[in-house]
This record gives sequence, structure tokens and C-alpha cells, in this order.
Amino acid sequence: MIKVYSTPTCTYCVTLKKFLTEKGIKFEAVDVSQNEADLQEMVDKSGQMGVPVIDIDGQVIVGFNRNKIVELLNIKD
Amino acid sequence: MANKKNTLTSKHFNKNVFYICVLKNKMLYDLIIIGAGPAGLSAAIYAVRKKIKTLVLTDSFGGQIVDAPMVENYLGLPEISGLDLIEKFRAHAKKFALEIKENCEIQKISPMSNDLFEIETDLGSFSAKAIIVTSGKKYRELDVPGAKEFDGKGISYCATCDAPLFKNKNVAVIGAGDAGQDAVWQLTQYAAKIYLLNKYPDLRGANIQMQEKLKSNEKVEIYNNYEPIEVKGDKFVKALVFKHNGHGEIKEIAVNGIFVEIGSVPASKFLADIVKLNEKGEVVIDQKTNETSRPGIFAAGDITDIAHKQMIIAAGEGAKAALTAWEYLKNK
Repeated sequence: MIKVYSTPTCTYCVTLKKFLTEKGIKFEAVDVSQNEADLQEMVDKSGQMGVPVIDIDGQVIVGFNRNKIVELLNIKD
Repeated sequence: MANKKNTLTSKHFNKNVFYICVLKNKMLYDLIIIGAGPAGLSAAIYAVRKKIKTLVLTDSFGGQIVDAPMVENYLGLPEISGLDLIEKFRAHAKKFALEIKENCEIQKISPMSNDLFEIETDLGSFSAKAIIVTSGKKYRELDVPGAKEFDGKGISYCATCDAPLFKNKNVAVIGAGDAGQDAVWQLTQYAAKIYLLNKYPDLRGANIQMQEKLKSNEKVEIYNNYEPIEVKGDKFVKALVFKHNGHGEIKEIAVNGIFVEIGSVPASKFLADIVKLNEKGEVVIDQKTNETSRPGIFAAGDITDIAHKQMIIAAGEGAKAALTAWEYLKNK
């Protein structure tokens, strides 16, 4: 399962979600600015407070690290 | 194997022998471009169109554009986000099949015999006959005890990204220039209280209206003449300690977040002993040709001592540097 934690104002988050959509990757988008529990879940998983965070089957990546995401999802880029 | 060339004596250093050894042990290019912002990518496109064997080494594709929420002054693109512009650059780079190594940190440039340069990086060593440096600027990091430890753990360098995470929390903004003021304004939408640390006696910057808005906002408390001295916390930030730069009074405030906006510095550390830098750390170039103080190394964009640090100017400077490098390489 893929989960993207983001805020609406963060351009990195928008780009990450756009990138995944363009590559046909299905994901659950979580707006952490709307819900304290979601924010806490993101902080617990990543050990930090920056967005975006992507959880790919338990592997957590902080920031839009394109190379790492491409590698983990085996995307042809 | 990597040191094989060192086993050669000086009498072996005719051009051909050295060239072959380098080819065996290192990747040899005509041109290596350091950085992939507008200057670096523009230089690379000019270079490959001139059939120059080119490699681009960069820590991040797009450079500082990533931080631009909206770009409105790049010709032909009246309104585009920085990240969308980067995607356009990526497509352009792909069209010319640019060879780019991303997430690459430059450690050292060493001039070798026979006018070659060796570039050591965390991804290995590369050699080239010429180099164009376009590594731009990077944000200045907070340098006080606790700053590194709590980076990402309450300390943020992107208010646009992270402001919504501090709903009803107390936060501080360090740096009260235009960017710092803008960060405070964004935070007023979310945070309960925003403390602004200003090292000057009054707010400065171009946007007078913004300064008035901040001064009259009851969520905002401005500390003029104060500078940070320590960030405290456990797992995450809990407090900021700061000191008056006149009478030396020390204060401590409880905050959950600290936003840092203290300007940017040229990313020129690895160049210190290689080319002439000015007092700001910018690479001094011949403004007509983009040559640095060392033959074979050229520079373009925000890392140089040009007058205006603008995206479209950086792109033009990159093209200029590539054309000069092409002239240089023709004679090699």
C-alpha cells in the first residue's frame, strides 16, 4: 500500500502526487493539516515533521526523492 | 586500479599514455557541468548540440527553482510553478539525452597533468578536459547548538510546506528579511503565536505593507536586535534561546517549531583552492566569457559574481559558458 502524507500548500507534495498519478501509481493521499491523528501517524512513521512523506509498503521516504521512489516502485522513468 | 596512473613516472606523461590510463580507470569526458539549475542545463544543451561529450553532476535537478512557488518572468512561460518548470527542463534534457548523475555531492576538484581535471564525488571520480561550475546558491543553515540535531524535528527551512503542521502551536521565525516576513505571514494562518527574531533594530525589506501588517498582528511578537544562540528539545524542538546583540540579555521561549530564513550562500566550498572567489564566496568570472581564474574551468549563474541573480540570466550565462568552453576545447 502506498500512502502520501502532505499539506495543500507544499509544492513538493503536489509534484510528488502528480508524478505518481502520471506514472499510474495508485496511492492514498493524507492531508496532515486537517487531522491531528494523521499528522501524529506521519511523525511516528518518519520521526520528523516535514512533508511530503511517502510510505511504500512500510518503507518511508521523507521528501520528494525522485530517484529513490522510482527505484522502490520500479517505475520506468 | 584506481591509482594505476600514479605508478607512471613523469616521462610517461605524454598525452596519449595518460589519456589511455585515465580511460581505463576513470570516466573521461570533454566537459563536466556541476549543477543542474537553469545555468547548468542550458550549458549542457548547448554543449551536446556542439557534440561535446558532456556529463552533468548535481545534488538536485532544477537547483533553486524548486523553492519558487510561482515563476512569472521566464520568457514564454507567463505563469508556472517552480516544480512544473523543472519538469519542463527535465523533458528538455531528455530530448537531448543529457547524461546526468543526480544526488551527487562534489568533494574535490583536482587539476591534473595534461590539462585534465579530476572531480571526486560520493558517486566516484570523473575526469574532464573542461568544467563549467553552476552549483548556484543554497540556503544558509542555522548554526547554533541544537540546530543540526532538530533539523526536520521542528526546525524547517520551508514555511510554505510545513506551516500547516503547526496549527495552534507556538513557533519562531529566525530572520526578518523579506523571506522571513513572508514566513511569518503564512504562519499567522495556522500558528497560535509567532515570535520573529530580527537581528536589526527594525524590520527591513522591500515590502513596507507587509511589515505594517506583521507589526499590527496580535499573533506576532517581534524581537528586534536578538539573535538565536541555542535550540532545545527532546525528540522534537521545545524551546529557542536567544540573545540581545547589544546589552546581551538572554531569553528563552517555548516553541514547537522554528522556521529559518537567514538568506543563502554560494555553493562554492569545493572551489576554495581551485579558482578565485570574492569575499561573498562567489566565483569571480570574466563577465564576457565566463572564464574563471583557472584555464579550463568556467562558471555561470548564481554562483558567480554577476550582478543579477535571476533564472533567465542564469540560463543565458550557462549558454555563454558552454560556447566559451567549446572554443577552449577546440584547441585541446
